[in-house]
Amino acid sequence: MAFDPTQKILIVDDMSTMRKIIKNMLSKMGCTDLHEADDGKPAWEMIQSAHESDQPFQFIVSDWNMPVMTGLDLLKNLKESEHFKKLPFLMITAEAEQANVIIAVKAGVSNFIVKPFSIVTLKEKIDKVFH
Amino acid sequence: MSILTDPDMSEIIDDFCVESETIYNQLEDLLGEYEENNDKAKLEEFGQTIDRVMGAAKSVDADLTGMYCELGKTISYKASQSMDKALLTVVIAVLFDTVEILQIMNKNINSDKEEKVSGINLEVFGSRLRWLADKFKNIRRSSVSVDNESVLEDQKSIDDLLASLGL
Repeated sequence: MAFDPTQKILIVDDMSTMRKIIKNMLSKMGCTDLHEADDGKPAWEMIQSAHESDQPFQFIVSDWNMPVMTGLDLLKNLKESEHFKKLPFLMITAEAEQANVIIAVKAGVSNFIVKPFSIVTLKEKIDKVFH
Repeated sequence: MSILTDPDMSEIIDDFCVESETIYNQLEDLLGEYEENNDKAKLEEFGQTIDRVMGAAKSVDADLTGMYCELGKTISYKASQSMDKALLTVVIAVLFDTVEILQIMNKNINSDKEEKVSGINLEVFGSRLRWLADKFKNIRRSSVSVDNESVLEDQKSIDDLLASLGL
């Protein structure tokens, strides 16, 4: 499945600055259907609600470290659900401990990207996710 | 061109400054709360909170801010596991100074798109933070994660690990 820029994408980060940076990069890549959540918990609710209204998200770009629900917990919720277990999930982190990267891979993360990153790196990672 | 000075990114930089200022105020409150009751959980919370600015700062080319946040995070996490009361007193004083410098830099990023603080040698203060972080070198845990494993801080390290795991 190739990446389609018209896909419905959810950007999850507790820093509004990061959400705007990612949104800016994705917009430059031609993406138009971009949505934001400021924590894993509202993201989980938005994903469920979008599914129920038959307009599901097709790609999640999420930070790891968030105060209420982490990116890892959001990923685990998704992978435990029959509806969302195949939803591509790109994890963003400032740093990660090796053991936790392995946990995320086992949980089904599609790929990782490390802050700070360029639009080129983001595009490469998205291409890998949808390869 | 640096993102800090890129006119196309000025709205994002303005938002970064507003958001960071709120977080710096939270950091001051956390240090104040620690001083009141010596609750080391407040130092751990300090680490989690300053981590929020760290990634965004590096992403907008506010490199000094990113470096100070990274060192502040390391020191606060490690200090939260230390029993050395004398050293903890130094840590709190230095973290208060760090937050004050971050606040001044933030104001200057907002007004002049430049990380500067008049009257303070920021490199020397950075060395002081590194020296303090080194005082806790026997304490391995320095991140938001709970396991004492090696920390992967760059894209290549994570990509190498992912490749070894088949991704």
